[in-house]
Amino acid sequence: MFDRHGGEMPSDDLTTLARADAARLKLLAEEILPRLGDMQVLKSGTGLVMLPMRDTVQGVEFHLGEVLVAEAHVRLPSGTEGYGMVTGRDIERAMAMALLDAALSDGTAADRIRAFIEAEAQAQQAEDTETLRRIEATRVDMETF
Amino acid sequence: MAYVATRGGERAIEQSERLYRAQMGQIDAARVAEIEKALPALVDRVMGEASLYAPDLAALALAQSGGDLYEALLLLRAWRTTQPRLQIAEVVAPDAGFTHRRISAAFKDIPGGQILGPTLDYAHRLLATEVLEDQPYAPPAVEPAAKPAPATHPSLAEWQRAQGLVTTPEAAPVPRDEIPDLTREPLLFPAKRAHTLQSLARADTGGTLALGYSAMRGYGNSHPTVNELRLSEVEVMVAHPDGRRFSAGRVKTSQAEVVTTKGKGELRLGFTATLGWNEVKCISAATLDLNAPGAEKNSPVEEEFFLYHTEPVESSGFCIHFKLPHYVTFQSSLDNLRAAKSAQAEQAQPTDKEEETA
Repeated sequence: MFDRHGGEMPSDDLTTLARADAARLKLLAEEILPRLGDMQVLKSGTGLVMLPMRDTVQGVEFHLGEVLVAEAHVRLPSGTEGYGMVTGRDIERAMAMALLDAALSDGTAADRIRAFIEAEAQAQQAEDTETLRRIEATRVDMETF
Repeated sequence: MAYVATRGGERAIEQSERLYRAQMGQIDAARVAEIEKALPALVDRVMGEASLYAPDLAALALAQSGGDLYEALLLLRAWRTTQPRLQIAEVVAPDAGFTHRRISAAFKDIPGGQILGPTLDYAHRLLATEVLEDQPYAPPAVEPAAKPAPATHPSLAEWQRAQGLVTTPEAAPVPRDEIPDLTREPLLFPAKRAHTLQSLARADTGGTLALGYSAMRGYGNSHPTVNELRLSEVEVMVAHPDGRRFSAGRVKTSQAEVVTTKGKGELRLGFTATLGWNEVKCISAATLDLNAPGAEKNSPVEEEFFLYHTEPVESSGFCIHFKLPHYVTFQSSLDNLRAAKSAQAEQAQPTDKEEETA
């Protein structure tokens, strides 16, 4: 998925935060919020992300359609910025992600957030593995086909 | 102006809308959530045709329109225009999705194997009428394999390219913001391939099936075989303002590649992908793509013909506009018809023989 347009390797932390359980994510953000001071909200709202794909016949890149996302962009008193974007329309969820991103960059509650990301990443990995075990059950065994 | 004013019908219009909405009664969040959960195939179909990936909004549009698909699409396409475009995601490679289903009807031993995934293809089509007798139907649980399947599978077309079976040259990549976009520019013919594929991704499932089926039955120039059919979830890769790349989440996509051996010593392919899982649309639209090169003008597999006629909002909108009062135009036509008839009657002096046969 990380195609030729991409530069550096994708950020696993941000990907994990975007996919994190919404309730747990918001809870942690609420817990850390008082420690962040008077922050500035630069962006908070829903919008669209156009999703292009490459065709297998001629390798032409084309637009599949748009994905609804919620986006948040904040700036802490220190000037450190945080950003969140998640699929769907849950603006609070995007804001929680932006707060945690800002806190992590600022070194506020970094250990707590790191532990959260690690736990969520493990849960996501376990969920994927379980899904893939169910998918594997539908593999056709061509030896006996 | 061809339409008469409908001011006199204000009350009737108001009451007719109420009468329609009374069928569905009160709509609440629980109903929308139930539609999203219970009807994933329908929600996916609507998202693909609306060209907007938002399962809860698609379910809401279905609830609000009482299941009228074209009304639901119109609601979603209209709502979409209220939203700003924040980014263009990274291009999804066709073999990069988290794959749930991936089969080939052309090759038995494809690299990565045949993964059926979720499907009713081999199910008995028996209506569970006992549900109506208060015996709920609970599907038997999936028995997971000990080992997980690979999350991704190689592209079959790439494998065929490596074997020399397909020699179509690959297009050069373009900057993301220069990918042609039908939502911002008109569809002109001959269409850019990016426009054709975007148009098919948004196309009406029933429309692509009808035209694709005509090609499958012999009104096209190539018979399709499914080279590869894939249902995936792909990552929506976006950019943090500081440049870091991450996935904002996964969305369901389907893609089909059909193949014909009627080429100049090599395989020829057709392709379609769409948002959501919708196999019939992808296979029939890929069949149209396969048949389009060199198609006869005004035939169902000619690009201009199928792209114009499978646009769901335009086609349904044009169809339903015929219900609007056309009294003036119709009256005018009727006047012409009557005038022509009376002119004919005055001019023609019927013979006795014509009168007998009349």
